Amino acid sequence: MSPNEDFRRELNNVFDEVTGSPSPALRDRVRSAITEAPAERSTYWIAAVAACLITALIVGILYVNNPFRRPVPVGPGPTPSPIVSPSPEVSPTPSLPPFICSADTVQPGQQSHPPTAYISGVRHAQQVGYDRLVIDFSNGTSEKGVELIPQTGTSFDGAPSGQPTVTKGTNGIKVIIRDADMHTSYDGSRDIVTGYATLVEIKQIEDFEATVALGLGVNGPACYRAFYLTGPDRFVIDVQAAS
Amino acid sequence: MEQRPQALARAVEGDADSFSRLIEPLLDPAYRLAAVMLADRSAAEDAVQEASIKAWRRLKQLRGDATSLRPWFLSIVANECRMYRRTRWWNVIKLAEVRAPETEARESHTDLHRALLRLSPDECMPLVLHFYLDLPLDEVAKALGVSASAAKSRIYRAAKRLRGDLTMEEVF
Repeated sequence: MSPNEDFRRELNNVFDEVTGSPSPALRDRVRSAITEAPAERSTYWIAAVAACLITALIVGILYVNNPFRRPVPVGPGPTPSPIVSPSPEVSPTPSLPPFICSADTVQPGQQSHPPTAYISGVRHAQQVGYDRLVIDFSNGTSEKGVELIPQTGTSFDGAPSGQPTVTKGTNGIKVIIRDADMHTSYDGSRDIVTGYATLVEIKQIEDFEATVALGLGVNGPACYRAFYLTGPDRFVIDVQAAS
Repeated sequence: MEQRPQALARAVEGDADSFSRLIEPLLDPAYRLAAVMLADRSAAEDAVQEASIKAWRRLKQLRGDATSLRPWFLSIVANECRMYRRTRWWNVIKLAEVRAPETEARESHTDLHRALLRLSPDECMPLVLHFYLDLPLDEVAKALGVSASAAKSRIYRAAKRLRGDLTMEEVF
């Protein structure tokens, strides 16, 4: 007998010793288990559908609560704008106004206003259908509201120097905040190039005698919606993406 | 008698009787594999039953012809054994209690038997498939889910742990 056969025979004897023989009932057990099994197939199917529904529900809740779409606090500008807590999505967003393409002044609520509102942060984020700019205030909002003036081209007048301020993009939105300053609480960038498709640049035009003006460089039509949010106080400008 | 490919086709279409007939010749080897991997005859029968149900439910996932059924089914049995050991952690205690007195009481145990008891279930599996169930190398490979050369080396490695002086030629 070859060593291989010898080893195999000895090993199989050991295996026989370990396993014995299956009980005669095993065959019937298996057969009846298989016969009863199809009903459970539908249970698995139902479980799979239930799992899909639960997943869809969770995704829906996450989408509505919007936890993943916070604005990027730091833009790729020459210097970063300061990060101000919390993000604009902390308080529930009211029903949003429609996008418009004309000049408008958005008034704040009835709360008390400081003589000079201090801008403490400028943040931006990319969303589906629009790019968002958020202006944070550290001590409340200006009583006089925020004026937004869409314009053709990206050359903005109004700088104290008398020289036009030019941004990237094809069109612009001039944002004027009166009774406000951008130097007491703000030490971030005054020229932020976002790298986004729509809102391409945010550049300070002026910060003089309690008037702050920003030029928004926009690719496509300069259409926007703007509104205030509280907790903390902030002003939001959504620039509509070109369709 | 119904041919295996026809029976398989009917089973895939949902005929439980055809599947039962196909699986019947595989119950004995499946039980032997499970009994070695679990070292518990009763648990081995439970594992085979569960594996049969799973195989029935997943029959549409079977790739290849009727000849693939045996390694495919044995791989399901092996998975069931692994799951049994993982989920029923108290089996570890049970096995230890059963095995130790058995090995002490039976002085007739050979060195080979004692060496086998030291192998893990996954080390035993290629030995059972190759030596005990006499599966060809390609079927061993399919059951293990590895290539033929990897299966060969697993068999040899496990065999060497049983008897250190074995050469490759003596194993194959």
